[in-house]
Amino acid sequence: MKLYDFALAPNPRRARIFIAEKGLKLDNEQVNILEGKNRTPEFLAKNPAGGLPVLQLDDGSYLAESVAICRYLESLHPEPNLMGKSAREQAEIEMWNRRMELNLFGPVSRAFQNTNELFKGRIKQFADYGAAQRETSQSQMQWLDAQIGSKPFIAGDRFTIADITALVAIDFGTQMAGLKLDPALKNLGRWHQAVSSRPSAKA
Amino acid sequence: MKIYEFTQAPNPRRVRVFLAEKGITVPLVQVNIAAGDNRKPEFLKINPMGGLPVLELDDGTHIAESVAICRYFEETKPNPPLFGTDAKDKAVVEMWNRRMEIEILSMTAGAFRNTSDFFKGRIPQVKEYGEICRNAALKRMEWLDTVLADREFIAGPRYTIADITALIGIDFGRTTGIKILENQKNLARWHQAVSSRPSAKA
Repeated sequence: MKLYDFALAPNPRRARIFIAEKGLKLDNEQVNILEGKNRTPEFLAKNPAGGLPVLQLDDGSYLAESVAICRYLESLHPEPNLMGKSAREQAEIEMWNRRMELNLFGPVSRAFQNTNELFKGRIKQFADYGAAQRETSQSQMQWLDAQIGSKPFIAGDRFTIADITALVAIDFGTQMAGLKLDPALKNLGRWHQAVSSRPSAKA
Repeated sequence: MKIYEFTQAPNPRRVRVFLAEKGITVPLVQVNIAAGDNRKPEFLKINPMGGLPVLELDDGTHIAESVAICRYFEETKPNPPLFGTDAKDKAVVEMWNRRMEIEILSMTAGAFRNTSDFFKGRIPQVKEYGEICRNAALKRMEWLDTVLADREFIAGPRYTIADITALIGIDFGRTTGIKILENQKNLARWHQAVSSRPSAKA
């Protein structure tokens, strides 16, 4: 198996952290998004949507979408479990993972795309919309702080894919979209420190 | 067990179609989004995000997010499989379902949210952004037509949750005048096939 990856992009990082948590080592090929290498005909043959990451399976076929890649690896390597075991647990983890995508990752990405220099001239940017999305991201972090409360992790008492999504969204937001992790958000800060100190966070 | 939902909204419809395909009946409780009932404190206790649908299990657990609800029923009643069969097939279905969410449903929803009178004064609307979503949806439908040239359903030879998401995404496009074009023969053939299943009326 081989992962088509780009070190600076947030979605590939989700897959890399997941792979590290599983204790797997996969071949890796960098596809430079900034140079448009994900828009070449060769790459579009692998993923017509042009996104990263993409996993090449041993049978030669290609799998796109971070969570689809994670789900495949979860099926092949069920332990440590990151997506739930019982019906109820799988549903709860999926709910939290999607909340992290919709509430946090979504607004952070839109803030980035509409305000960052990297996208200038590549897509039509709406600065006001980007600023509004940044504010939304900030208030979602407040919401998440309350939701975490005394729980050790986002979906409950153990580390799951929902923690990976939230970590990547927050780190990407603070590094690339002008977000601030407010020290007053004690639960979020405690959680962020715990997940960032796992070896997988460096992946 | 019961499901809080709202008949006119697209996400609750995803779960209703899914349950109809599974042959599962769950009591439905209407929460009127148009009247803001999903923003009242009673409902926010059920889902702090305020979204619909929400599944209430017999032990009192609440599961929000359409796909999380569908996954619960896939696990408790695996047949017919709508999330794929083996490791690879499950991943392929996940990939296509997410593509249908990102490329189709979120675009027709983005067009609606940013241009419709329904949301006027309720959320900050950016009309120009709504237009971009609308054009993106139309372009992605063109692409989907080519995808469907060599396959019966979105993720391959079997009907899956990706078909449900695509059907609802495209049907919701009607709110902003997004339609399948006459020359999109594959997409039209697929749309007619999935629309004529009894579940489409759910």
